[in-house]
Amino acid sequence: MTIYSAQVVEHFDAPRNAGRLATAPDVVEAEAGSRSQGTQFHFSARIAGNALAAVHFEAYGCPHCIAAASWLTQRLRGASVDALERWSWREVAEALAVPAEKRGHLLTLEDAVRRLAAAWRRHG
Amino acid sequence: MLELPIYLDNAATTPVDPRVVDGMIDCLRNVQGNPSSMSHDFGRRARALVERARAQVATAIGARPECIVWTSGATESDNFAIMGAARFHADRGRHIVSAKTEHKAVLDALKQLEREGFAVTYLKPDAGGIVKAEQVAEALRPDTVLVSIMHVNNETGVINDVAAIGRLCRERGVLFHCDAAQSVGKVPVDVTTLNVDLLSLNAHKVHGPKGVGALYVRRTPPLGLRPLLVGGGQEGGLRSGTLATHQIVGMGLTFSLATNEMDRDMARMRAQRDRLWQGIAAVGEVDVNGDVERRAANILNVTFRGVEGESLQFALRRLAVSAGAACSSASEEASYVLRALGRTDQEAQSSLRFSLGRFTTDADIDTAIAEVQREVPRLRQIARRA
Repeated sequence: MTIYSAQVVEHFDAPRNAGRLATAPDVVEAEAGSRSQGTQFHFSARIAGNALAAVHFEAYGCPHCIAAASWLTQRLRGASVDALERWSWREVAEALAVPAEKRGHLLTLEDAVRRLAAAWRRHG
Repeated sequence: MLELPIYLDNAATTPVDPRVVDGMIDCLRNVQGNPSSMSHDFGRRARALVERARAQVATAIGARPECIVWTSGATESDNFAIMGAARFHADRGRHIVSAKTEHKAVLDALKQLEREGFAVTYLKPDAGGIVKAEQVAEALRPDTVLVSIMHVNNETGVINDVAAIGRLCRERGVLFHCDAAQSVGKVPVDVTTLNVDLLSLNAHKVHGPKGVGALYVRRTPPLGLRPLLVGGGQEGGLRSGTLATHQIVGMGLTFSLATNEMDRDMARMRAQRDRLWQGIAAVGEVDVNGDVERRAANILNVTFRGVEGESLQFALRRLAVSAGAACSSASEEASYVLRALGRTDQEAQSSLRFSLGRFTTDADIDTAIAEVQREVPRLRQIARRA
């Protein structure tokens, strides 16, 4: 059985910002992965000027996926679009002590973040 | 101290009944002889206990005591029956019929025989997990020497019509082995009614000790079996090795209790399982795996749609349940049994086996229902449209 770090357990049991922001002019959305692949992320974020004011997530996947998405919603609050574009899965892997065999899921998470940045760019 | 989870994994193994523990401890403390040492009282006393246990096991399955051969468990019994019978009769034919949903102890023994030149037909069960006698009939060939079909499936609890398959095999002159590791104490087992030639048994699935089992071997007419273990000639030359008196005493007691208490145990477990299912079904988007009309009362295997398998298991970590078979769940592969029933990989991975035992309480069921009703909707909410 997979061993989960205390941070993963904490975020899995009490995820932050789970759900989806209501559609609005200042809200952008992005997703990556698929249920058939076993991992899917959706992010919705409210833009306030040059920063994200709030980020919400939905996730289908293993406990590491749910915990990573939850952690990320807090990490990205206040982030700029440039920061989103630079964001790497390694940061959450280190913060939550995600084991090597699970890091493929985090690449899907990184894809979702990149797509959120692209949606923000398109939003202007 | 950490709170232990609720134990609902009795199809993997069961807690040993305290009455069995007492009998085994008494044996360990007071019986020191080797049951094969018939020249002194120590040995004769041990032998008497072994023979009493043999009679207890035989009585539980409607057999004569001389048909019981002690083994280390059902895996050895399966290996011994399949490889022993096939190798002995290899000059008559090299074809075997079995099923995709058999336990790994059967499937891996068959794989070994395939490496030795045998051909094996693996029958696919119907959507309910049942292997029918007609399928076996169609698969038989002139060179078929053995059929091996399990009684109660360890993942779904589904009960095959072993009596019909055994009757067919007997009519066609083909040896019939049945893995009954999950049967005793849950469903009636009678070797005459079931028409079996070889029947694998163990103690630990029915509140006995691990590390002991038995193989029923029909004796009249002699069926021909090549031993796996040699060196001592115990068990009539079929299974060498010093007999583990305390383990055997434990298995005898276990089977006596299982036989005497089966009706009461099963009535309670059936009511508990049905209540558990009602509680689980209330969360919606769930399916029972296996034929609901023909299954043992102690097993409930459920697919939870819309929930990822690993998160489901971790969210329900207060419940000791099994994802697939315990013997292979470490691999985290989708259950081959559920795949054979037509479930997708994803559905199989999102399935859990709840299995009840003699010591499962109504409060355990209440806790299990509460955990499922809290955690499954929570995970679905997190995954809502992702």
